[in-house]
Amino acid sequence: MRAATIVLAAVALSGVSCAGVGRPQVENAPVPPGASMWVEPADLAARDLYNGQWGAANAPDPKDVYDLIERKHTGVNLGMTVKDSKGREWSVKQPYPGNLDSEAPVEVVVSRLLSAIGYHQPPVYHLPAFTLKDDFGRHVEVGGRFRLKTDKAKEVGMWDWASNPFVGKKEYQGLIVLLTMFNSTDLKSSNNSLYEHRDGDLVEQWYLTRDVGSALGDTERHAPRKNHVDSFERMPFILGVNNGFVDFAYKGWYKNLVTERITPEEVAWACNLLGRLTDQQMQDAFRAAHYEPDIANRFIARLRAKIQQGRSLGLAAARD
Amino acid sequence: MKTRPYGSPWPFAAIITNLAFGLLCAPLGAAAQDTLPVPDGFNEPKGFIAEPAQITRAAIWADRHLGKGDLTNGFYVERGKMIPGAGWLSAGPGYRKWFGRDTLLLDGSAGISWNGYKTAQARAELPKFARSRLALGAQVRWLDYGNVDYFGVGPDTGESALTQFGITATHVAAHATLRPTSWFDIDAQVGVLSPTLQEGPLVSATTADQPTFIPTEVSMTIDTRNFPEHPTKGLLLRGAASHYEDRDSGAFTHQRVEGEMAGYLPMAGERVVLMVHSWIVSTPRDHDTSVPFYLLPSLGGSNSLRSFADYRFHDRNMLVANAELRLAMMTHVDLALFADAGNVAARVHDLNLDKQSYGAGLRFHTRRQTFARVDVAQGSEGWRVLFRLTDPFALSRLERRAAVVPFVP
Repeated sequence: MRAATIVLAAVALSGVSCAGVGRPQVENAPVPPGASMWVEPADLAARDLYNGQWGAANAPDPKDVYDLIERKHTGVNLGMTVKDSKGREWSVKQPYPGNLDSEAPVEVVVSRLLSAIGYHQPPVYHLPAFTLKDDFGRHVEVGGRFRLKTDKAKEVGMWDWASNPFVGKKEYQGLIVLLTMFNSTDLKSSNNSLYEHRDGDLVEQWYLTRDVGSALGDTERHAPRKNHVDSFERMPFILGVNNGFVDFAYKGWYKNLVTERITPEEVAWACNLLGRLTDQQMQDAFRAAHYEPDIANRFIARLRAKIQQGRSLGLAAARD
Repeated sequence: MKTRPYGSPWPFAAIITNLAFGLLCAPLGAAAQDTLPVPDGFNEPKGFIAEPAQITRAAIWADRHLGKGDLTNGFYVERGKMIPGAGWLSAGPGYRKWFGRDTLLLDGSAGISWNGYKTAQARAELPKFARSRLALGAQVRWLDYGNVDYFGVGPDTGESALTQFGITATHVAAHATLRPTSWFDIDAQVGVLSPTLQEGPLVSATTADQPTFIPTEVSMTIDTRNFPEHPTKGLLLRGAASHYEDRDSGAFTHQRVEGEMAGYLPMAGERVVLMVHSWIVSTPRDHDTSVPFYLLPSLGGSNSLRSFADYRFHDRNMLVANAELRLAMMTHVDLALFADAGNVAARVHDLNLDKQSYGAGLRFHTRRQTFARVDVAQGSEGWRVLFRLTDPFALSRLERRAAVVPFVP
């Protein structure tokens, strides 16, 4: 009986572990018309990382009163769907009680950085607190990431890391490099969203990574730290180059994505892209998520060091 | 698990709490220029000593995978919901799904424990009638407990009187909960309870078949605890009256009344928390009827008198009082010093606090939940070391999934 109990518990607990991701396969079919993952950021130097690509007009009003629609019933984070006084619906991701390794601000920072350098992102913002109106009245609730639900960019499905039209292309390889640089640990395909973006009569399909808050810590398989600057500073980025592929320090469940797949040139491409952001732009990204400046500066310094390491790797490869 | 919003959104409850325990509500921080201040109680109190990274990671893992309570749709692990005596570990699969923007919850689960206790339940909850002022629900529960300890009736039974009984039961119940505020509710419940005892030293073939009961209960609860499975401040007041109607012969028809309070007084920025708890249960005497021994109030074990065995004492009336001082040694590990006292008696006015336990323990927790504890308790029947996966005062009787047989202290 006890053995049965232990087996039952083990089976039950195994259900909460991660399964990893299959090895990506390059597809020879052309990219469908209107589909993109990344767009060259021609105006990168002028981009506003405080309000992001969606701008202040799409931001939540910190003084507004938000009606509770429903609690969040997926994932490990707390959250809810709320509606503001303008009738706009927001998906709110809140911190864990105790604010231990909160993902919400990380998601906003990573989203800002990715969108600034050309990767599609949904409209996300951060509020430390907000006024919630539920059936029992109003109270101030701990805030978090506010993601706007808008007809201009609507999720219509998901895409798989292992199989999609962009596998092997520079933007796909670069995205993996960037997420590895951010120490993103939750690289499961269900966090990848296919969005339908409408701009007048123009309809595009956006391949984007969403829920990118499991980052800025380390990449341990079990209970990785997130939003933890000490861990982020401690963990190495690149260990070396083997057989022409970059050996990343990444330890997470999704190692298949980075093992013997990324070349030094692809790392350099991504690092050069991110390196074009100014310190002020990076600080704005962290300010958008309400980081203390000294913590933000430590994250930025570590990112700069990683960028430099990636660039050096590319230069060394070019020399060879 | 219920999760309260942060801060103090229940002004009347806060007043009661302050009057009763002198709780000091920390003022909200100064308003920022463009954003609202984060509510009080958001951050976790740091411990007195630095926490090893392994403990922090264990806390993160437990919190992420086991701490979200009833909110997550899909399959889940039913864990630690068994009664005392089931053993230190219980687990099983569960599945739940919310529908219609939180208007309907369907939930089913099963579990098996270290000592072979088995349970299963399915329930439907409709929590949002009349703007959440009225909740309706129904549940069917099945249980099979093979070896529940029993020492006889009265406060003076000896340890050598230990015997065991097995019980299976099915309980079908429906409830309506009136909730005028988020912290106060009035609940009424009616059901059909069909227990069967397993043959053994206590039970002959002729007494194995137990009557079918119609249990009804009315209760009122004030609950301002910030996190019910790891409270650090707030107050719980509960009163309940139940009637068990014996539908077969009427011989076991009886009533039960209960009063309970628990208060949590935070000090030193919640790094020190004083918890006080008391609970009184009475089954008024009726000369024409009696109470089945498995429904008699009982006392002793990991949630009441910690130096005594589970279900150590049974009688018509029970009183227990507990005090626990928790010191945040680390952020996620508390040192607890506790004292328990109580007794059972045939008559209410004979109740006293003569049975006593003292001890200390460690609690592994996050902000919202206690995940494990070790208690070492000493009393007149010696030392006991307890390892459990729940808070000692999680008060599982407040949950819908708690079993109604046997009586659980």
